[in-house]
Amino acid sequence: MNRNVVVLLLFLPLFVIFTSCSQPKPQTQLQFGILAAQKGLWDEAIFRWKKVIQSEPDSSAAHNNLAVAYEKKGLWEEAEKEYELALKLSPNNKHISANYDKFKDRFEDSEKEEDKDNKKKDKNK
Amino acid sequence: MAGLLFLFSCSTGEFLKLRIEIPRKTTIQLDGFEELIITNFLVKKEAEDFDMNKALTDFFSAELDQKLEQKISSTAISFENEELFQNKEFWQNLFPDRKSAILFTGSLEYTQEIRKAIKSMEKRQFETPFPEESRIEARKFYSLNLQIYLIDTQTGDVLYTRDFKESKSYRNPNQTAPFAFIDLIETVRDVLFRQLLGEEQVQERYLIK
Repeated sequence: MNRNVVVLLLFLPLFVIFTSCSQPKPQTQLQFGILAAQKGLWDEAIFRWKKVIQSEPDSSAAHNNLAVAYEKKGLWEEAEKEYELALKLSPNNKHISANYDKFKDRFEDSEKEEDKDNKKKDKNK
Repeated sequence: MAGLLFLFSCSTGEFLKLRIEIPRKTTIQLDGFEELIITNFLVKKEAEDFDMNKALTDFFSAELDQKLEQKISSTAISFENEELFQNKEFWQNLFPDRKSAILFTGSLEYTQEIRKAIKSMEKRQFETPFPEESRIEARKFYSLNLQIYLIDTQTGDVLYTRDFKESKSYRNPNQTAPFAFIDLIETVRDVLFRQLLGEEQVQERYLIK
C-alpha cells in the first residue's frame, strides 16, 4: 500500500475528532444565548432565547434556558413559568426536570423560612 | 468509520452543565427604603464589663453599610418593655419626618457561665507508668439570644422578626465576653443576611443546546 495512504488513514480519524468536537461557531440564536451565558452576559442571553421563542414557541430548550437566566436574575415567578412550559413541551427531559427540581427546592426553602417568620409574627400579635 | 467517530465524539454535546451563582429569594424588599436606622437594643441580660449595645450597633452598622446602598444611621431610644415592638404608634411617631426609612431594632440577652464536667479517660491498650485518671474539666459557655425586628417608620408595621439563639463553649478559661460575642454575632449575621439580602449561592444548572 502506498505510504501516503497509510498515513492518511491513520490521521483521518484524529482529524475528524478534533474538528467535530472543537467549539462550534454559534449558528443559531440558541447557541448565541449559551455563549453569552457562559460569559456571564445574562441579559444578552435572555434577549437571544426570547427571539428563539418568538420564532419557535415550542422550543423546550429555549424555555429551559430562559428559566435558568431568570433564576440567575432573581426573577422567580418568570423562572417558574418558563420551567413549567419547558416541562410541558418535553416532559421526559431529565435535564429540564433536574433544573426544575433544584429550583423548587431552593424556592420552597426560602418560602418555608418566610412562613416560619410570619408564624412567629402572628404569635407575637 | 469517520462518520461513526463523528457521531461518537459529539454525542455528549446536547447540553451544557453550568455552575452559576443564583440569588436567594429575600424575605423583605429593602429596595423600597432610602434609609436604615439602627437603634440600641432592649437588654434583658448582659455580661459583666462589656457594653453589648455598642458592640452590636457598631457591628451591624459596619456590616450593613458594606452590603446596602441605603443610608445607614443610628439612634438611641429608651425601651420600657418588650411590648413596645408591637406598638405601631410609638414607631410611627419616632421619626415622623422620615417617610422611607426602616428601623433595625430588637432585644438581646447575653450570658456567660462556667460549666464543669467529669472527663473520664479512655483505657489504653498498654499500661503506662503514669496512668491518667478522670478529672473535672471546666468550660466557659456563652449564649446569645437576639430578637431582631425590622420596622417600617411610616406604618409602624413589623416587616421582619426573627429570634436567634446561638451558643458556644470555650476550653480557654480566659476567653473574654467581647471575643465570644463576635463569634456568636457572626453566625447571626450569616443567617440574617442570607434572608434579608438574598445572598448568592453556587448552583448547577443545565443549558440545552
